[in-house]
Amino acid sequence: MTDFLLRQMRHGVWANEKLLDRCRALTDEQLELTVPGTYGTIRNTLAHIVASEEGYLVRLLGSLLHEPPVREQDLATLDVIAAHVAHVTSAVERLFAKGSLDPDRVIGDTPLRRAGAPRFEMAAWAPAAQFVYHGIDHRSQIDTILSTHGLETLDLQVWPYAMELGASREAKEDR
Amino acid sequence: MSTPPMLRQLRHDVWATGKLLERCRSLTTEQLQLTAPGTYGSIQKTFAHIVRANEGYLNTYGVISQPFMELTASVDEIASRLARVRDAVEQLFKSKEVDFDEKIHDERRKVDMELWVPLAQFSHHGSDHRSQIGTILTLNGLEAPDLDVWTYATAEGAIADF
Repeated sequence: MTDFLLRQMRHGVWANEKLLDRCRALTDEQLELTVPGTYGTIRNTLAHIVASEEGYLVRLLGSLLHEPPVREQDLATLDVIAAHVAHVTSAVERLFAKGSLDPDRVIGDTPLRRAGAPRFEMAAWAPAAQFVYHGIDHRSQIDTILSTHGLETLDLQVWPYAMELGASREAKEDR
Repeated sequence: MSTPPMLRQLRHDVWATGKLLERCRSLTTEQLQLTAPGTYGSIQKTFAHIVRANEGYLNTYGVISQPFMELTASVDEIASRLARVRDAVEQLFKSKEVDFDEKIHDERRKVDMELWVPLAQFSHHGSDHRSQIGTILTLNGLEAPDLDVWTYATAEGAIADF
């Protein structure tokens, strides 16, 4: 059975890629659109999603995905963001390469912790669940920004993802 | 035995909806009707939509029955239905070993699908619409609670700071 967390993380990666593709059709000015109550501009929100996902995965894997580690402010263009989505995709697969994640494993620290910053110990399920939640939350904000400004939005729910995977399909009428 | 990550995810989801609902109990009737462009609708209607959809996802597994909640439900009714959702989530993971790769025919939705799909959608759908309520609150200068997993895991004692 495919691990449920892996399915959810793959859905998150799929949704990021879809949204990034959609945003490639926007002008530079449109990428700077925002609405009050959201994280910020479309571009900054995409950068925030991807940089955070790298952070969660570094914590879960216990090692950097690449040197130097990414900082949100480094993700200034869609091409750079896309390159880091690829890092996220490969790290997600690596995380589950040897089987399911032990959700109760205690992670004592992250290689990304800055000198003097507090250290957190946490069960592995927490950053894994946060990975899933965080992306949905911020993609929803980008959807609100697009919609508010009269721009086309995408359906990023699990339904269309499952359809694409062949895990869901319209039932035949003669059933 | 470990708690399945799927159950953790759903518990977080129900917790977040409950926290947000609790926050919105202090809103006036007029504030519950606030909305923002690009969102599903009013705060009240979005809550009803979240919980009604949860009922539908869980109905797939036979742990919650119809009729589902009306979209015009009051905050009290939504809270009561959310409690039913919370119980159904626990029942789903207590009652039997579900094979989430199993393919089923879903007559209500007229689809054939693998059983993991509605549960993954449960988690996605709630987070998506709670985010919209968060935007509506903030846009109108109202406080929005922190609903991320860090907050939930800290409350559960799964994160400690040293």
